[in-house]
Amino acid sequence: MKTNDLILQTITKIAIFIILAFSLHLFFAGHYTPGGGFIGGLMTAAALVLLLLAFDAKTVKKIFPFDFIKVAALGLLIAVLTGMGAFLFDVPFLTHTFGYFDIPILGHTGLATAVLFDIGVYLVVIGVTMTIIQTIGEDE
Amino acid sequence: MALQLLLNIFLAFTWMFLGNSFTVGSLFGGYLAGLLMIFMMRRFFPQRFYLLNVIAAIKLVLLFIKELILSNIEIFKIILRPKLDMTPGIFALPTDLEKDWEITMLANLITLTPGTLVLDISDDRKTLYIHAMDLQSVEESIEGIKNSFEKAIKEVSR
Repeated sequence: MKTNDLILQTITKIAIFIILAFSLHLFFAGHYTPGGGFIGGLMTAAALVLLLLAFDAKTVKKIFPFDFIKVAALGLLIAVLTGMGAFLFDVPFLTHTFGYFDIPILGHTGLATAVLFDIGVYLVVIGVTMTIIQTIGEDE
Repeated sequence: MALQLLLNIFLAFTWMFLGNSFTVGSLFGGYLAGLLMIFMMRRFFPQRFYLLNVIAAIKLVLLFIKELILSNIEIFKIILRPKLDMTPGIFALPTDLEKDWEITMLANLITLTPGTLVLDISDDRKTLYIHAMDLQSVEESIEGIKNSFEKAIKEVSR
């Protein structure tokens, strides 16, 4: 029996934007305030899970045509490469620096290389979570 | 509606760049100026002047708050009665709303007012099945919902 999921799907279409915006906010808030790559990745994965619940696996595959195992691998690669990048400047592995730059529109902004490492963490968390959920979900 | 709003924001930015002062106040002044321009040119748009839709949306929120308070008092009375003499029941509400978000809005408004609860939507989206805690007469309930919520939602999306 198939029910009419009209309300769930309509609310999902609206809520997904709010959840994704919040997850990106958490990701960028990680340096000075609570947040960071791990919780940002989990929130993004939660948005994808909400899509999976409201629609079905085929729709999500159409919207995000990624192989999530490869996403996790890419995240690990980015994390390792940012660690290796420290060797270019003759400092120990995983040393990170930060500096303040005057960007034309944003003005006085602090940029840290830790953000690049965080992107790696973010991708690994999304990839692992979605791989687990999709693997369990496809067991018919 | 969306077209007029976009045009208004565009006019606000144009105003800001013409004045060469990039402040929030300048943007807001441009927004008001654009509102006046769109009001004067309202005959040329396919939809009606969009401020009327905004007013209708605010009216819908106020109506919802009013209904929420009134129906909460009703439920409070039922709960405090020593004798349970309510008559629960399920009735079908035919609806003429067509868009997804309109039906969702109606269903959520009905559910959020205590005493009534949307159980299901039929597959052809023409009927809502509603459970009422104290169903005195079906026609009265249908009339009540149709005259309040459905009319207000139609007014917003006109």
